[in-house]
Amino acid sequence: MSYNGGPMTEAMYYVLLALIRPNHGYQLMQSITEVSRGRLKMGPGTLYGVLSRMQKDGLIVLAKDDGRRKTYEITKEGEQALRVEYERLKSLINDSRILEEANDE
Amino acid sequence: MSKIVRKIRPSEYWRIGEHESYFSDMSLKGLHLHKIGTYFIHFKKGEPKRIEYRMEVTKKKSITYEQIDLYEENGWEYVTSYQYFHVFSSLEESNAPEIHTDPAEQAYTLQRLSKILLVNLIAMSLAVALMIGLLSATWFLDGTPVLRLVEGYIIQQSIMSILFLYYVYYSIQATRAIRSLKRDLNEGKAINHHAPWQSSLHKNAIFPFFYAGIALVSAILPVMQLIKMDTYTLPQEDGGLPIVRLADIEQNPLLQRDEYYIDEVDWANRYSTNWSIFAPVQYETDEGGIVEGRMWLDESGTYSPSISSEIYELTFQAFAAPLVKDLIKWNSYKEEIDSYVEIDHATLDELRVHEEEEQKQIVAVKGKVVMYVRYYGYADVDHLIENVAQKIEVFAEKENT
Repeated sequence: MSYNGGPMTEAMYYVLLALIRPNHGYQLMQSITEVSRGRLKMGPGTLYGVLSRMQKDGLIVLAKDDGRRKTYEITKEGEQALRVEYERLKSLINDSRILEEANDE
Repeated sequence: MSKIVRKIRPSEYWRIGEHESYFSDMSLKGLHLHKIGTYFIHFKKGEPKRIEYRMEVTKKKSITYEQIDLYEENGWEYVTSYQYFHVFSSLEESNAPEIHTDPAEQAYTLQRLSKILLVNLIAMSLAVALMIGLLSATWFLDGTPVLRLVEGYIIQQSIMSILFLYYVYYSIQATRAIRSLKRDLNEGKAINHHAPWQSSLHKNAIFPFFYAGIALVSAILPVMQLIKMDTYTLPQEDGGLPIVRLADIEQNPLLQRDEYYIDEVDWANRYSTNWSIFAPVQYETDEGGIVEGRMWLDESGTYSPSISSEIYELTFQAFAAPLVKDLIKWNSYKEEIDSYVEIDHATLDELRVHEEEEQKQIVAVKGKVVMYVRYYGYADVDHLIENVAQKIEVFAEKENT
């Protein structure tokens, strides 16, 4: 199933976020953990699945392939998709203010 | 050198969680997964260990180095593959991170397999339906299924199509299971890596062997039939064959053979042998003669009587009665079928006769032997019946001793 601009899975979102800087498999997992401040520990299977799917969808590309180590980076489309998703998440947060206000009363 | 122990491979390969759990339990007994074959799973004997196993599904039948590397960097060692399934293992104490942390993402890994299974299922169902359609036409279109069964030409294909039919059922199970696993993952239900496997995994494990056995045995049938099938020129004298002979019927010293040789066999005076599981001894015969100086009564030409017959020795006597019906149906015109007369005979179990001018048709049963005879000529039908009774008697006795 190719990406059609709808809500992203958490895994997709964080991989795109981490690939703002080109990176390869194992290190990518660690930078995802870093970016999410330890909240998200992504398994290698999930990462591999997300990478190959997003590569097919053109959200990321292979930047360097020296034999076994493959370095990926985000594409223009990927970055755009990430920003669209970020805006969507932001409005989610905005809309959720009701909750905070409810707490204040 | 460590010893390899083989176990029958569970046929329900789509039960991923059960397999992972099974491999873990085997490792606890010191049997560590080594290889997955078509019929057997190979385990290497060693020290009992607590090992976690994970089965990965890929889009292609092979797995990329990149994927293996990424898993191995995370403490999951690649063990073996079988088609779209790949097994990784990790010592429980090493606490390797879980391979799939997002069930919905894991659902994507089943997408391709799910599609392949569905496409294969549809293609196979169509092929099997076509095959069964053609076979049913052969069995039933003439309305003589017992004759077809006894002749035995399409038994092997029929057994094979039943096996294929089971395979379609098996593929439906696989397709449905993978689809529902995909759905569960999509809904966030992760695979239970310690699912109980004892009852679910091995219940049908023996079936592939059974399946292969039947396929093998049924493959012998046509070979056996080919060995037993042959055609010979009828000997001039009796030859000890259970065949009603033209000379005995005509009793005319002027009768001569009307020969028609192809490849050293006189096809106008021949007998063919055949074999099937339901009729291990079968003969089909033709014999034709000519009496110089005598004419058919309607002056159409020289008198040339002929006799054709089919003889079956059945495995089961129960087939005799339906075979009689089928032989009549197969060898007669529609309007003739009802004009057969049933006659009580001193030695035959069953006797049906149809006589119309110079054509006489007889179907007789004695024990497990069924004989059909068609005669064109002026000899008396009672004389023909006695010859049939005598030959069938000799044959039935010979086969009984």
